Amino acid sequence: MRAWIFVIALSFITALSVAPPLAAQEGHPLKGSWLGTWAKSANHADDVLVVLKWDGKAITGMINPGTDNIAIKNATLNPEGWVVHLEADAKDKSGGALTYVIDGKIENIHLPKRTITGTWKNQKESGTFTVERQ
Amino acid sequence: MRIAAVRVWAFALAGLLLASVPLTAHHEILAKFDDKKPLTLSGVVTLVDWRNPHVHVFMNVKDARNQILNWAIELESVIDLQRSGWTRESIQPGDALTVQGIAARNGSRQAWGNSVVMTGTGRKVLNVTVSGPPPLLQTRPTPRWPDRQPRLGGAAPGAAQGYWAVPSSTALVENGVTVAMDAYGLLRNIADAPKVAPLQPWARALYVERQRRFLQDDPTYLNCKPPGGPRQFQTPYGVQLVEDRERRRIFVLIGGGNSNYRIIQMDGRGQKGQVGGDDDNPLYYGRAVGKWEGDTLVVETGGFNEDFWFTNGGLPHTEQLRLVERFSRTDFDTMKYDVTIEDTGAYTRPWSSSSTLRWVAGEELPRHLCQDNRP
Repeated sequence: MRAWIFVIALSFITALSVAPPLAAQEGHPLKGSWLGTWAKSANHADDVLVVLKWDGKAITGMINPGTDNIAIKNATLNPEGWVVHLEADAKDKSGGALTYVIDGKIENIHLPKRTITGTWKNQKESGTFTVERQ
Repeated sequence: MRIAAVRVWAFALAGLLLASVPLTAHHEILAKFDDKKPLTLSGVVTLVDWRNPHVHVFMNVKDARNQILNWAIELESVIDLQRSGWTRESIQPGDALTVQGIAARNGSRQAWGNSVVMTGTGRKVLNVTVSGPPPLLQTRPTPRWPDRQPRLGGAAPGAAQGYWAVPSSTALVENGVTVAMDAYGLLRNIADAPKVAPLQPWARALYVERQRRFLQDDPTYLNCKPPGGPRQFQTPYGVQLVEDRERRRIFVLIGGGNSNYRIIQMDGRGQKGQVGGDDDNPLYYGRAVGKWEGDTLVVETGGFNEDFWFTNGGLPHTEQLRLVERFSRTDFDTMKYDVTIEDTGAYTRPWSSSSTLRWVAGEELPRHLCQDNRP
């Protein structure tokens, strides 16, 4: 029995180790799906998924698509220091308006799994976040 | 007992997996070695590792305290060494060598060898020189098909083999701009970055970042990603154009990379992906359609992915990249290559770059497989 558990565990580790390498995204540094956490609040869970696009003029996207569906209404990237600024309108549990303001910085810009770390705030709460490009 | 057997099997498998993980890179030399750190090493060869992408010679060297230390000397590729007359047997374990080169940036006992001399005889065994194409003794006319269309891929049916190589420029720079850079597209002066192309601010900053890191993150070298776009014509081992007139398409085969190829469709189809095929699937080589305008082949290509660098030197692009390439075989030995880059995602306006390729007669396309990726 223990041997089977060992084999199953090893198979899992093996599967992880032979997973194909992450495809590099060598275009606009913000484009893609970013998965991570933002500190728990009364209005959102710990996990956060941010999907960002670049059409050559504007950065657009969505926070938690498929669940919270928070559309990003304003997004900028300052290449000087790779500083990211996002604004998005949402609703709290009682249906009241919330505006998220998210500021961060891209770390390890040269890596496929680059990260953005920073802070978020709305009218009621604030916290920190980290997301990693998937 | 069974548990022990399973564990043995498991560790063997894990070892195999670890052993098969590719190491990091075939690379811009200056990404790993510092040309401001010249060194001379004298010692005795312990091993010659004759393989792609770069040959390594390992040698024991006495340091100042009389300690014997093993150094790894990295040399050019097998193809380049063979061209210089070096064979697998040129250096043997036990031979005494003096190597001049440059030291690794990370302080490890690795060096890039610029000169290798047999200590006993003074014979120089490394003689790889970078030079331009040999001068043409005579200008021969452009070879043509019976219908008078220029032949891009050869001379005549049954004629000697050949391919296109020795690009006049190994990195894209906008026409009319002069900047100094090495064969990998590394700028001599990083302040020249804004001159290279009309980059959007983010793209310029990313280009500078790549340059500052000596291009060490180049996915074509790091992960053997195909050299899509104009980069096909900037590789050191050339390209072969195979005209499949019966099926109305042209294959572009590359001498480096992973022996992948690009197809230029010549059947009159539009610049549109095939539904269920490549219509929503951006590709390394994009979707290319070509047509003849007089003696010039005009190729329009779109549908590129963003997983690679489309030129040596690391100029960024986006999925909005579209290329218009013009190929003109102006004489037997010269292919003029003009490309216009349209990418509203990364550049402020369309821009163009031109270069030439030389016909290498009588040789097969070299086979330099990107398969090892040692640092």
